[in-house]
Amino acid sequence: MNSLALFLRRNRTLLITAVILFLLLIVAIRGMETKDWVITLLRSLSVAAVTFLVASGFSLIFGLLDVLNLAHGALFMIGAYVAWTVYIRPDTTIALLTPTCLLAAGFALLPLWSYLASRLGGKKSLARLWPWLGLLLAGVVLLYALRAYPITIWDPGVYSNAPGTYSVFADSGTLVIPEPAAFTGQSPVLVMAGILLGGLLLAFSLSGLQNRRSGGATRKLRLPWPYLAGFLAVVLVGVLVYIFNTPLTTAVVALGSNWLFLIAIVVALLVGILLGSFIESSLIRPLYSRPIYTLMITLGLSAVVVELVRAIWGRPEFTMPKPAIFDVTGGNCPATTLAGIFRDHCSTVEFMGSRIRVYNEIFIPLIGVLVLIGIWLLIQRTRIGMIIRAGVQDREMVEALGINVRQAFTFVFALGVGLATLGGALAGPSMGISTAMGDSMILNALIALAIGGLTSYPGAAVGSLLVGLVQQFIIKYGQIGIQLPFMEAPFKPSPPLVPASTVLLMVIILLVLPNGLLGRRKE
Amino acid sequence: MEPLLEVRDVHTFIGQYHILQGVSLSLKKGSVLALLGRNGAGKTTTLKTILGLTPPRQGEVIFAERPIHEMRSFDIAAQGIGFVPEQRSIFRDLSVEENLKIAERKKGDLRRKQELIFGLFPDLQRLIRLPGNHLSGGQQQMLAIARALVADNRLLLIDEPTEGLAPVIIEQLILAIRQLSAETTILLVEQNFIVASQLAEDYVIIEEGKSVKAGKMADLLHDEPTIHRYLGAA
Repeated sequence: MNSLALFLRRNRTLLITAVILFLLLIVAIRGMETKDWVITLLRSLSVAAVTFLVASGFSLIFGLLDVLNLAHGALFMIGAYVAWTVYIRPDTTIALLTPTCLLAAGFALLPLWSYLASRLGGKKSLARLWPWLGLLLAGVVLLYALRAYPITIWDPGVYSNAPGTYSVFADSGTLVIPEPAAFTGQSPVLVMAGILLGGLLLAFSLSGLQNRRSGGATRKLRLPWPYLAGFLAVVLVGVLVYIFNTPLTTAVVALGSNWLFLIAIVVALLVGILLGSFIESSLIRPLYSRPIYTLMITLGLSAVVVELVRAIWGRPEFTMPKPAIFDVTGGNCPATTLAGIFRDHCSTVEFMGSRIRVYNEIFIPLIGVLVLIGIWLLIQRTRIGMIIRAGVQDREMVEALGINVRQAFTFVFALGVGLATLGGALAGPSMGISTAMGDSMILNALIALAIGGLTSYPGAAVGSLLVGLVQQFIIKYGQIGIQLPFMEAPFKPSPPLVPASTVLLMVIILLVLPNGLLGRRKE
Repeated sequence: MEPLLEVRDVHTFIGQYHILQGVSLSLKKGSVLALLGRNGAGKTTTLKTILGLTPPRQGEVIFAERPIHEMRSFDIAAQGIGFVPEQRSIFRDLSVEENLKIAERKKGDLRRKQELIFGLFPDLQRLIRLPGNHLSGGQQQMLAIARALVADNRLLLIDEPTEGLAPVIIEQLILAIRQLSAETTILLVEQNFIVASQLAEDYVIIEEGKSVKAGKMADLLHDEPTIHRYLGAA
């Protein structure tokens, strides 16, 4: 009993805030008809789930690495574009697989490269110079080889080959996958060998740069065979995909939209993880001791990513059709029961008088909850999770225990970016895809984190939920109006008030609880 | 006999400050060496330099006949060096058990060592589920030492174990450290000269970043002028 009283007294500000927020929610609900508040609540969950995917990754990265990854919104957007491409243009995706594999093969040999680089003695000035020369050479080789590699018709500048055109066709269900592009003039073997060589050079030069940074301590090489086997396997996959391009494309397209959607989500997640580990090891790692620089570099990265996406995808906005399993209308739809959703794959379901979209308001929140639980288990129950929790508090001590914290850094960065791209992929069909989607999302996520507590994982969930609730209730009241006692006509909050309302909530909460709802002061 | 740890003329900078300006010491296997000196003399920095947390710019650190001063700190620790820092650095959000478990270098380390650890600090067994921030200062110190014992460490670096603790707890800690010293080698930083003299066989005095005097603790006890000059009235 005593400890309960102590708990209540210690957390009284938090508890009072929670009660007030809850009462506000009740008041907001009471002001609506049942069908209105049900749909609004569910929409809030949908927004909250996507916000949480971005916010939790951001907060994990900030907590352990002290890096404010301002590129997180741009990476969220990348997830959506990648998923869209895999989903709508599996042919292009498969055609891209070959050069990607050949390029990546060199990185499978990284341990071998860093061993060689540490062995490569010679003069200091030479050791400084050769990685840059290697990079330059790799750049030239790759420029030629990659340009000569034909990617299945995709040209943002030509109307009939523009991604946007395919988007329109896909929406109307009349998309025909075009014939694969063929090599013109150059020998395929030569071009592919060029990409492979470029990848090898790139990986070797990068490891040379890394090696110079880490002081050039000679490392021991254990068993080069697994790496060599990995290298050969990756090359083999690339070549096989090239040889069997047409049957593979036909097979993948025949899988139908449900499987393609699943593949798209998984690919987006994987791309995020790979991008994350690459960004951390190349751009962020050299700058850990200079926080302002990491801020600048992630900010710059986000601008670069947005422009790259514009250049590659051409048009700034796409729609992404929902997979068939969530997209049946007419007939028995909208469904009225839970079983009906599964039987008829309806896009909407009637529930308590409101029409709920299955994908947006049921599927996305469900994935959000699954990720919430999954990451929580990872953090609480695994060794890497323990190292992350310990590292958030005291990195130096973790290192002093003989643990390579830098590996945990890379892991967390990759995981955080993976969560963002997963969020982008999931948000594609519900929010629509545009180059601006990242900006609004990172703002949402930052506000959610400020409300919940910057480095608190449950805080990210609570903050996202509050952001979703406030936004959706304001939007709904913008449609139906609030009857205020001293006004004749109902007050209708205008759309610009939506972002303003979350900022206002953040300001109020930070005034009362400076570390956010569940945050703790960093010591 | 070859020394387990040898520090040769180490110079360390923190930012632009030249903190260590030539520290040398040598530690025999199985012995306890006390690092003495006034506040700010560079004792803690010496420990951090050995561990690579503040890498030396000049000089050598040899551990078990292997130069370690160019290694990264997690590699150094993995050679078999346990660190008990001044602020104890208990992971607040981790339970006592997790605080110990995180120090495992091989699976099952904790299970093999639990008899030793809970023999030395029976309190910890009772507190095993509590989060680190619920422990008292003395309990945190015990946990910090226990954490350094989980892995097979050949050398323990213990920084100010008795600072800010009640005399009863200090008694307990002295007993525990003495028991430990029978089995492992310890480099001890201790402000409290009486405590240091009870635990250590040898001493090194550091003054303004330089090691100025070394010898047997037994001799130092009778060397009033030295004590007075370097350690103040002890």
